[in-house]
Amino acid sequence: MSAQGDREFHGATSPSPLESDKISAAVVCTLTALAFALRFYKISHPDEVVFDEVHFGKFAGYYILREYYFDVHPPFAKLLLGLAAWFVGFDGKFDFESIGDSYSKNHVPYVGIRALPAVLGSLTVPIVYGIMKQSGFPTAIAAFSAAIILFDNAHIAQTRLILLDAALVFFMALSLYSYIRFRKVRYSEYTAQWWGWMIATGVFLACTLGCKMVGLLTFAAVGTAVLVDLWDLLDHRKGLSMDQVSKHFFARAFGLILVPAIVYLSFFWVHFKVLKFSGTGDSFMSPAFQETLHGNELLLNSHEIRYYDTLTLKHKETKAFLHSHEEKYPLTYSDGRVSSQGQQVTAYPHNDTNNHWQVVPTITLPPAGRGRIVRHMDVVQLLHVPTQTYLLTHDVASPLMPTNQEFTTWPKGDESRYNDTLFELQLINGDDGDPWKTKSGHFRLVHVPTKVALWTYTSALPAWAFKQQEVNGNKNAQDKTATWFVEEIISDENGHDVHNRTSAAEPKTVKSMNFFRKFAELQLSMLQHNAGLTASHPYASSPINWPFLLSGISFWTHNDTKGQIYLIGNIFGWWTCVLALSVFVGIMGADALARRRNIKPIPDLVRNRLLNSTGFFIGAWAWHFLPFFLMDRQLFLHHYLPAHLASALVAGSVLNFVLTESINYPISVWGPNLHTGASRRYYTDFGSKGVFTVGAGILFLALTFLFFAPLTYGTPGLDPEGVNRRRLLSTWTLHFAKVSNA
Amino acid sequence: MSDFRARRPASPPSSAQPYGKLSSAPSQRFPPRPKDRLDADERKALATSGYPRQHHPLGGFKLSSGEVKLLILVVVLAAFVRLYKLSEPNSVVFDEVHFGKFASKYIKTRYYVDVHPPLAKLLITLVSVISGYDGNFDFKDIGKIYADVPYVMMRALPAVMGLAVVPLTYLTLRGLDCRATTALLGSVLVAFENSLITQSRLILLDSPLIFFTSLSTFCWVGFSNEDKAEPFTEQWWFWLTLTGLSLGAVVSCKWVGLFTIALVGLCTIRQLWLLLGDMRVPPRLFVKHFCARALCLIVLPITFYMAMFEIHFLILQNSGEGDGFMSSEFQHTLQGRGMADTFADVAIGSEVTLRHVNTQGGYLHSHPHNYPGGSQQQQITLYPHRDDNNNWIIRNALEEKNTSSTDLVYLTPGMTVRFDHISTNKRLHSHDVRPPISEVDFQNEVSGYGFEGFEGDANDNWIVEIESGDRKDPESKKRLRTLRTYFRLRHPLTGCYLFSHKVKLPEWGFEQQEVTCNKNAVKPNSLWVIETNSHPNLPPDAEKVNYRIPGFLAKFLELQRVMWDTNAGLTDRHVYDSRPLSWPFLKRGINFWVKDHRQIYLLGNPFIWWSGTAAVLAYAAVRGFLVIRAQRGYKDFLNTGVVKADQLCGFLFLGWALHYLPFFLMERQLFLHHYLPALYFSILLLAGVFEVVTGALRPRVRLQIAGAIAVVAILTFAYFSPLAYGSSWTRSKCMRAQWVKSWDFSW
Repeated sequence: MSAQGDREFHGATSPSPLESDKISAAVVCTLTALAFALRFYKISHPDEVVFDEVHFGKFAGYYILREYYFDVHPPFAKLLLGLAAWFVGFDGKFDFESIGDSYSKNHVPYVGIRALPAVLGSLTVPIVYGIMKQSGFPTAIAAFSAAIILFDNAHIAQTRLILLDAALVFFMALSLYSYIRFRKVRYSEYTAQWWGWMIATGVFLACTLGCKMVGLLTFAAVGTAVLVDLWDLLDHRKGLSMDQVSKHFFARAFGLILVPAIVYLSFFWVHFKVLKFSGTGDSFMSPAFQETLHGNELLLNSHEIRYYDTLTLKHKETKAFLHSHEEKYPLTYSDGRVSSQGQQVTAYPHNDTNNHWQVVPTITLPPAGRGRIVRHMDVVQLLHVPTQTYLLTHDVASPLMPTNQEFTTWPKGDESRYNDTLFELQLINGDDGDPWKTKSGHFRLVHVPTKVALWTYTSALPAWAFKQQEVNGNKNAQDKTATWFVEEIISDENGHDVHNRTSAAEPKTVKSMNFFRKFAELQLSMLQHNAGLTASHPYASSPINWPFLLSGISFWTHNDTKGQIYLIGNIFGWWTCVLALSVFVGIMGADALARRRNIKPIPDLVRNRLLNSTGFFIGAWAWHFLPFFLMDRQLFLHHYLPAHLASALVAGSVLNFVLTESINYPISVWGPNLHTGASRRYYTDFGSKGVFTVGAGILFLALTFLFFAPLTYGTPGLDPEGVNRRRLLSTWTLHFAKVSNA
Repeated sequence: MSDFRARRPASPPSSAQPYGKLSSAPSQRFPPRPKDRLDADERKALATSGYPRQHHPLGGFKLSSGEVKLLILVVVLAAFVRLYKLSEPNSVVFDEVHFGKFASKYIKTRYYVDVHPPLAKLLITLVSVISGYDGNFDFKDIGKIYADVPYVMMRALPAVMGLAVVPLTYLTLRGLDCRATTALLGSVLVAFENSLITQSRLILLDSPLIFFTSLSTFCWVGFSNEDKAEPFTEQWWFWLTLTGLSLGAVVSCKWVGLFTIALVGLCTIRQLWLLLGDMRVPPRLFVKHFCARALCLIVLPITFYMAMFEIHFLILQNSGEGDGFMSSEFQHTLQGRGMADTFADVAIGSEVTLRHVNTQGGYLHSHPHNYPGGSQQQQITLYPHRDDNNNWIIRNALEEKNTSSTDLVYLTPGMTVRFDHISTNKRLHSHDVRPPISEVDFQNEVSGYGFEGFEGDANDNWIVEIESGDRKDPESKKRLRTLRTYFRLRHPLTGCYLFSHKVKLPEWGFEQQEVTCNKNAVKPNSLWVIETNSHPNLPPDAEKVNYRIPGFLAKFLELQRVMWDTNAGLTDRHVYDSRPLSWPFLKRGINFWVKDHRQIYLLGNPFIWWSGTAAVLAYAAVRGFLVIRAQRGYKDFLNTGVVKADQLCGFLFLGWALHYLPFFLMERQLFLHHYLPALYFSILLLAGVFEVVTGALRPRVRLQIAGAIAVVAILTFAYFSPLAYGSSWTRSKCMRAQWVKSWDFSW
């Protein structure tokens, strides 16, 4: 603890008047009041659907109507929005169809829904203040960090609308805050306080993750700090026995892994409980899942298939029917390979009698009854009804893919190729004895002798096959895209319509499904769809642009008033943060090099504070920013907001370091494990110059905010000159910047 | 202190000499002092004058003559397994399709674009030229029989380079202070690794890559040994320079050579970090160390790499298949793609061709075919080749047409113009109809509309907006100048910009690129430039312009970007591609060639492969365990044996990790052979683990264990060798060799 640097450590021994609780309370109240004022100012404008309100407004409506929907984000923030919508009396009837639809004409209580993100966004400001204050920074510095968020145009624009980011950033900030509180009581381990803050951290982390999957990054940021902490506990110089260390480990595993997992799962539990009716999200789910929803089509129209039924088979991925026609494959293809010259088998998206196939058994059937039902793992033949030929595949290369097998057909009477017409019916996730059903019975058709699966994909055959889709045998029989289902039963053995048979069956009831299986299925397809969002978007940007604020997003424009909402940050605040980040990295780098040469430019006490406190903030920033470089999906500026919040914390602490080398010390709560009553207290020696600098900084932030405010609130409209004055960087694609030529 | 008892009896007093004869000899109770061990005073004296100067072998490689003989034996064996029946199969195998083709292109000097840098391909070309190849074979398909191609010589180059890896393995391990037994075992394992053999017997780039990777590692080890002994000697510079050149070569074979650079780079940073902490090294000396390394390990490799591309450009002077990847400026430098000078000033009445700047789609084009949907008016596309249908005449939209015909009215920003398509008599037109492919709200269709005598309507109007001009031509910012001004065309009625992107029209549009009018146009895709220009009123001696010929640096940088984009675009699935996670476990091989029931299938020697992976995992586990022990206060790392073992294995583990883990970040197609450089390091690490584990054994036992391992490895090699040579195999043997279900070679 002694300052052993080349320079002595200086600090005031009594606190400055600014540090008193009263002043601090006054400051935090002012900040909060301002935050509410700035976020609720004209919150009813525009009374139109803005940007992604299209999605999230719609989802809130679905919760009210209790209709199942599918989205890539976890449900917590949307549940909150749904709750807010229910509370203000939204009936869910408005469908948020496109940007610019009017709310007031459709009587949507949108202000109430928007109020929720606005409240969360406003409360983020005092939390930031709290984080800084709890980390031992003086009031003025904490106010500066809070002001960076308070006066930030991007945070304000994002939190005044029906979007998820307000909740995400709010809970992310709360997680950091609780972790810092937890860390501060580390000397009184296993006390109620200690447990309380740790479990609070866990719960808030789960909430963050419940808003968006990027909450995982918050987990990683806090997790890294926890691991470093545990590593220090493991250090033998701490004198803890292995038992004590493992007790610490399991305590954290409980509070920071198990508790969040339960909380996170409970969001999904509520989600499934609320959404019990069939809705727009059905088709994203497996048949078993769909059958748990009231009014689902599969539930109503899924019939068991019997032998000798005539069916249409549809490929799940490309939605094309298995098709065949009398034309033969040509002898040679354009690349010189030869075919079997058999009858063509293709996939065809439209209804046609050539899509009709009859299931023919390979075993003897009982004359009637349930023995005639086709079941999982049955070996069957498929008879093409119009040409009376059996589906067949063999070791001949398919027309377009030399690596895959050709599919063709073989005349009914000719038994010479009987073995090659045998296919095994494998139901996806099927158990022995499961019956094959229309719609819900997803299956693979695996050829018995060669083990290839019936497969098709989007490539079209040349003109000789009428540009229909190629069907071939995929050697990877487990390929997910080799999945088919039966669209409908055309007729039974005697050519009768089957509706009589099925109507006799007992009325369908909603099935139940294990919650964990439902959760696993939804979580998996969320991740897959998230990874699949790769289409380009005019306002998508790459992460390198974000800290420098090189591009924004146009949320909403209005031609008559020339008003527009353009998501862009407070450029002064953002660039201050970037500057602070680079200053920190520079200082620590230089210090590390100097220490190699036995020079200590920064006193140990200050350096420890920089490493432990600012280091934690930097870690949070890096974790919330750098992983985006690895993501291939569409990325937007608002993905940077959590990282921006972390960088605001860094900016405050670096400003503190620049203004004074003194710190408040100690900040952690002395507990039973550390008896240092004799230690001296230090207080930051900030001086009036520091207060003045911080004041000037906040003033600049406020002025910059006001300058860009018309773009944030969408009002008042700006003339082209006004737009151009605000277009500080040429990459900002603001609207109404050009004088229109008549 | 009365109970103090000395452990040893005191030395006999010098005055009393019971054994007088021995008085001058050192006391027999102490072992004689080795010659090179200095006592404290001598060490102190030396330390003040710098490092101890003593003789040491070059690069630390001291080989006995017996070792050399054994090494020669291994090399001969390795040569046999690599060169055996090199002429079979006599047809094109796997990627020989590409790399053979590139040799033909070099010989024909036709420009091509490939994702790999040129060194390895240049070497293959050199060999084929020496052997008299005329470049007329097309390497079209796998299995095509070679005719008039010296393919054996071309295959011999990778084979010899693969062979050279064997002695390099030996020397590297010796340089890392391993015993001769260990080094011998390592080189035998490399010599009989099936996948390294298969890969080096064909015209492929991986064998040169692995050769230069091992050469770089070897040179770096040599340099590190010199650096420990005495820096800035001639040998020190020699090894450092050689490392730099070798690094340049490895990255000039394939970009994955960057991983080797990363390995050497990290080790260099560690050296410098230690030097920085050494307070005996004054700052000036540290700067000298730093600069020497920067010069040899950064500047030298970059220079080498660029030199390879200079050779590449010097050879490929003619237009070829790769033209389409390059910018127009670049294409202009290729013979057969040049363009005649054209008039600089664009005015109302000029006949022009407009080229899209950001894509290689070509020129604004129209032809007498209509859209099948939408407005059903005439198609407007981008067409990559020069053609009369690319010609447009610029008309003034607002003023009367009969202004005095001799005045040249230059095109300035804000001017409203129309574009008349000369051969079909239509005008460039846009309206509120969704385009054929990009059917989104903010896109409008662009069509050719009008007929003879039709005045045209306001939808034919376009406003010129100059985006940027040329720095050396200030006029080009003020008005439109051919090739110098980049401009956008805004459609005043709908506010959209004339736009094109890399989206192809279907067959009815002859697969040409779609042209639309985009309200949210990204700027680069809405930029146009005038490429050719003529005007009836311009005198023939008026100012003319042409593309500026790019210098080497511009061409080099452009090609790097094209290679990068092409590489990133290789994301299609391939039947035999695989993800990195499956590589260390050898889950599946690659089918290289099948004909007449013979097959070449890239598969490692499973014994060596899996043992290598086990060595990697074992080292990682032990190291992790030791770190945790250290945190709990155990002093393992004070044991010199542990430290030495850790330095040896740690370096090789780092090599493995750096050549393997980055692949997880790559989205492109990946193949098993991308693991081979990492495999090389895992084999070295296997030898390293052997060195450490058998450290306490008697030399004889150690040799026996090494012999047993080598015999198992060679037997496994022999067992799977038909897959490497494509020789005949019985069906039952083939089925039995399928140890893992996913090895799909028997079919």
